[in-house]
Amino acid sequence: MTTIAAATVLSTVAACGGSDDSGGGSAGGGGGGENEASDIGVTENSIRLGAHYPLTGVAAPGYSEIPTGVQAYFECLNQAGGIYDREVEFIFRDDAYNPTQTAQVTNELVLQDEIFAMMGGLGTPTHSAVVDFLNDEGVPDLFVASGSLTWGDEPETYPYTFGWQTDYMSEGKIIGEYIAENFPDAQVGLFLQDDDFGEDGEAGIRQYIDDQIVAAERYTPGNTNVGPQIAALQAAGADFVVGFNVPSYTALSQLTALQLGYDPQWFYSNVGSDPTLVGGLLNRFSEGQVSDASLLDGALTTGYLPTVDQTDNPWIQEFQRIWDECGGEGELTNYRVYGMAQAYTTAQALQAAGQNPTRDGLVEAIETAGSEWEGPVFAPFRYSEDSHMGTSGMSIERIVGNGSEEVQPVRVTDIGDAPIEEFDREPATPPANAIPDEESVVD
Amino acid sequence: MDYFVNVTLTGLTQGMIYSAFALALVLIWRSTRIVNFAQGSMAAATTFIALALIQAGQSYWVALIVALASGFVLGAIVERVIIRPVEGGPELNAVIVTLGLFVAIQASIAIIFGSSFQSFPTPFGVRGLEVGGSTIPLTPTSLYVIGSVLVVMALLVALFRFTRIGLAMRASAFSQEVARLLGVKVGGMLTLGWGLAAVVGSLSGLLIAGGTFVWPAYMDALIVFGFVAAIIGGLDSPVGAIVGGLILGLALSYVSGYAPRGSALVNISALVILIVVLLVRPGGLFSSTTARRA
Repeated sequence: MTTIAAATVLSTVAACGGSDDSGGGSAGGGGGGENEASDIGVTENSIRLGAHYPLTGVAAPGYSEIPTGVQAYFECLNQAGGIYDREVEFIFRDDAYNPTQTAQVTNELVLQDEIFAMMGGLGTPTHSAVVDFLNDEGVPDLFVASGSLTWGDEPETYPYTFGWQTDYMSEGKIIGEYIAENFPDAQVGLFLQDDDFGEDGEAGIRQYIDDQIVAAERYTPGNTNVGPQIAALQAAGADFVVGFNVPSYTALSQLTALQLGYDPQWFYSNVGSDPTLVGGLLNRFSEGQVSDASLLDGALTTGYLPTVDQTDNPWIQEFQRIWDECGGEGELTNYRVYGMAQAYTTAQALQAAGQNPTRDGLVEAIETAGSEWEGPVFAPFRYSEDSHMGTSGMSIERIVGNGSEEVQPVRVTDIGDAPIEEFDREPATPPANAIPDEESVVD
Repeated sequence: MDYFVNVTLTGLTQGMIYSAFALALVLIWRSTRIVNFAQGSMAAATTFIALALIQAGQSYWVALIVALASGFVLGAIVERVIIRPVEGGPELNAVIVTLGLFVAIQASIAIIFGSSFQSFPTPFGVRGLEVGGSTIPLTPTSLYVIGSVLVVMALLVALFRFTRIGLAMRASAFSQEVARLLGVKVGGMLTLGWGLAAVVGSLSGLLIAGGTFVWPAYMDALIVFGFVAAIIGGLDSPVGAIVGGLILGLALSYVSGYAPRGSALVNISALVILIVVLLVRPGGLFSSTTARRA
């Protein structure tokens, strides 16, 4: 082990001397100490992070754009000096949303690429396959891109894993309360993915409108015929359908509803509601019959991050600049914004872990300071020693064209029977260049 | 009652799609006695060719014709270049080669056309038809699918039953040596069989894709269901393929619609149906002879 570490230091010193004089110089001056190869995946001038995403297959639409956002953010961050003059390297691999492949690529990331930490591994079924491995190996498992409760409700089981986005149960509760207050006479049908995603959402929503729910139908991801499920919602007389489903199933449910001549008020949870993506999938059917995003027009959804259509939002403006300067091909999308927002929180965590971070120090930093970080996410994170849950707040939005308008401001809650409260803190404004400036909280 | 009708019609439409794919399998089995596992990805390849043409501004029908033609060429090339060298050996060799081909073609599609999820247009509507003031889940597109599959089935039956070429193809598949002694050009017949099977496969790929979404692996689930449908029907009967597909489509739709957590039980049910059919009639429902092996 020692020999490997020593060899890494030598090679990076050589590289540094050749190309990066100014960066190396300011590192010594700024931090008050020398940069060291303080843990696996950290060298004097780099930090290596890894992630798994579905870049191919049925879950790829939209989600495959997230890592390009992450990469663009880190690229701009590195150009501005990185974290303590360390360049952030981001390696992501394709798991095709298949847990077997997730296990394989995570093994490669940890054992072969020797990453310092995971960041933003995507999906409940996929990440469930590797969460034990990562915690056994002591690899920090930051900001899993899924709203399952697993990542945060029991830190003693998974001390290295942290959630990030609003969990599905809190989301279900906020949706349930909204329906109870605004649609008290609606007959509600639930369209649920048959796993934690649907279960947690259903548990949350039933806390508020159990007596309004007339049907709960579940689909199995991979089975693309949802005809019987949508027909069952119609037969049960549901005039208001809440979907806890992924984007491709939003498109499938809309197509099936067209076939059935079924036209309820739709409410898609945040995960499945991107109007640009779903509209893009639906727009080519049968000239004129299904055009652009109009099918989703008027559907309700939730939000915990600003979206690309909000061009006057200062975070979106910064992210747009980052995408233009450091991004690849294509437009800035909501998925790329998601990736950048996750990268922003990761930068906060790495700064807080100090000049020479260790894996355990990174975890300690998030537990100590994470609940105070401000950023693009509307409501604060719940990080502490007792909870690794991410943000807890959501607004309710109505989809209009390719954008959305707010119909209920952010409310915050927690899992279990915690109450829902209004949230009136001023939105945070981005720091210069959208690069955070957190103090080290680790000795 | 409405619900029953809806679930039934959804099942019929879905069943016709399984039938379309099963027909291609039956055709290749009848004309070469090989089970072609690569059929699904070959169909996906031609579907992506059609999609590329449509995206370039061509009409659906032009794309359809080009896809069918390229299906024929692809099938013929596969037979000549890849299957022919292993044809003389044990039967299993050719089958394993088709499995390898399945993976290779799928990977090539991803390389050439990308692996993103895309919508595939249909020339007909995707809204349910209005009957007596209520909408039934039968769209103009599903009528197009049903019509096309029935026409293809009729053509296949006619080919095998009433034409000399059909007879020669069956003879070549059944016993190459005897056929050759009787003056049949066996090599040509095998190539023709692969080509025609790939045409039917391409058509099924396009019919399955129309009005829904495609990605390089979109045929994977259908390969399994298509095989089950073909085997229920007896693997060498075009009518059996249709009936097998419909039985499977209806049964799976009822399971999905009526069983608790039905959607999760669909794949298991397909297996149960297959086992039950094979226990009752080992050769499949429409097998013409028992234990006929070359």
